Amino acid sequence: MIQVKNLYKEYCVAQKGKGLGGTVKALFKNEKKIIKAVNGLDFHVGPGEIVGFIGPNGSGKSTTIKMMTGILTPTSGEVLIDGRDITKHRKEVVCDIGVVFGQRTQLNWDLRLEESFELLRHIYRIDKKEYNETLAVMDSILGIQELLNKPVRQMSLGQRVKGDLTAAMLHSPKVLFLDEPTIGLDVGSKFALRKFIKEINAIRGTTVILTTHDLGDIQELCERLIIINNGDMMEDGNLSEIVERIAPYRTLVVEYYDSAVPEHPKAEIISASDNIVRYKFMKSEMTAAALISDLSAEKPIKDVGIEEAGIDDIIKIAYTMKTTVGN
Amino acid sequence: MKKLGSSIAHYFGVTMCNIKMALLTIVEYPSNILGWLISNPIQFILGFATIKFVVQQFGEINGWNYGQLAFLYGISVISHALSMIFFVQGWFMGFYVIEGDFDRFLTRPLSVLYQFFFTNINVFGLTDLIPGILVFVYGCIQTGFSFTVSNVVGIIVMLIGATLIRGGIYILLGSTSFWTKSANDFGQFTQEIFDKTTMYPISMYPEAMQLILTFVIPIGWVSFYPASDLLGIEHAFSTGGMEVWVTLAVGIVTMLIAGLIFKIGMRRYESAGN
Ligand SMILES: Nc1ncnc2c1ncn2[C@@H]1O[C@H](COP(=O)(O)OP(=O)(O)OP(=O)(O)O)[C@@H](O)[C@H]1O
Ligand SMILES: [Mg+2]
Repeated sequence: MIQVKNLYKEYCVAQKGKGLGGTVKALFKNEKKIIKAVNGLDFHVGPGEIVGFIGPNGSGKSTTIKMMTGILTPTSGEVLIDGRDITKHRKEVVCDIGVVFGQRTQLNWDLRLEESFELLRHIYRIDKKEYNETLAVMDSILGIQELLNKPVRQMSLGQRVKGDLTAAMLHSPKVLFLDEPTIGLDVGSKFALRKFIKEINAIRGTTVILTTHDLGDIQELCERLIIINNGDMMEDGNLSEIVERIAPYRTLVVEYYDSAVPEHPKAEIISASDNIVRYKFMKSEMTAAALISDLSAEKPIKDVGIEEAGIDDIIKIAYTMKTTVGN
Repeated sequence: MKKLGSSIAHYFGVTMCNIKMALLTIVEYPSNILGWLISNPIQFILGFATIKFVVQQFGEINGWNYGQLAFLYGISVISHALSMIFFVQGWFMGFYVIEGDFDRFLTRPLSVLYQFFFTNINVFGLTDLIPGILVFVYGCIQTGFSFTVSNVVGIIVMLIGATLIRGGIYILLGSTSFWTKSANDFGQFTQEIFDKTTMYPISMYPEAMQLILTFVIPIGWVSFYPASDLLGIEHAFSTGGMEVWVTLAVGIVTMLIAGLIFKIGMRRYESAGN
């Protein structure tokens, strides 16, 4: 479906002086600074996948999405969608993709939502019947019908995002790219957006690639995760596999009757307060049952609980790792 | 051939929709149009009054009498107005480059340049058209210009060519932003140059300047040469009655070069960070 091959992007920032003189100079002189935003990404996305694209600020997520959607020309490498290079066949390939940037809108600010849809209907040559069908589906998921007559500038952020999502789905794209779609949304709107992604994926088989800083989005939506940092690929794989590999530990939470708490050679105490102690141990070294029996041999235990390493743990680890996986 | 036909139908449908949206936007903000309706015509009427004053003082400008000058002035304002309707966005291209506003055009299956101009088609430009036509008709009456078929065709051909030359130059100037990475609103500046070189006979300028305006920056073809020919006024670089067609050709070539430069610039487009 989507192939990203050895993709690089360098931004060239002009170091220009002030005023017209500076501008003229910049035109002729090469006073430029190169920013390496993406450094050789390689991955495939199959039809029907929902892929979470994550990484810290400035890691190159938006840059990659922009190259995958034909907005930026890669410095080198290529993006193929259904085997066609999006840079070389932009007008043709973009018919198969939909794009939403959480921070921007493609809707006409001054007019009613329906007017923007009407323009898109002409741009993508969508016939009235298909348009109405899609709109009915979007209405059942997002309740878009009641917004159609509203001027976009009068909309709340949540309503505007709903409008943008619908706009991106009107031409029934095979792939939907979402760059931080949940940014700024309240709990209710986030919930609606996640429901939307799950449903278009289930009903229409739409492939979804999204970037987010929201752990809830990832947990709820993404089976597969691609983690990048400084433009390098850090991880690419199944969410639970990544957890297994880079965070192969658990935390045992034990409550005692008093504050004199026992230690254990194979478990690290990561916090202790109010008679409650958290032991971090490697799954490969010891079972939870063995740890509990060792500890209870030393002190009576009131209560226990087990925590799996969570997604925030793996993100913390992945973001601080230096090496590229697979090299 | 069939593909071309369907492509034209596609662009035509989108254009109609864009025009409808532009009109709806005006209805949405009716107060804007008042300013345009008043200030634009006043500006051109004042310019016209200036000519009248100059002619009254000196009799004529470089062999052009009052009626002929009105003809030239009027037709220049008309092509200016047409370029304002279709290509005024070119003035603001730098802001699109800096602010990453080409993003949404790039993800749609139409030419970026087409979307850039026609998404923001400027219906207000029509307000410039009115004083242009008034002055032009006045000039026609004064000079006894006859509306024969060949004259009417000539005027249409030259207006298309002139509008394309103006639009092409806006695109070329705007495209420099892809290299400078800065947004200069050169509208005012361009306007002044165009006004000084298309509303009056360029034969009043030094020869070197005339050569530049003929061969390097082909502004002479916007109004001076074709109007000279239509009025039967002697001028340098006569093409024996083919002037209006040369204007059209120069317009098409300017537009093609501008489109090419824009395309090359677009490869350097870097969108915008947050
Ligand atoms: N238009 C641009 N011009 C110059 N540099 C840019 C541009 N856009 C991004 N960058 C730089 O490229 C790098 C990657 O930016 P990018 O926006 O892709 O990161 P991101 O992962 O999307 O970050 P965030 O989580 O903050 O959205 C950053 O160093 C950024 O400053
Ligand atoms: Mg980003």
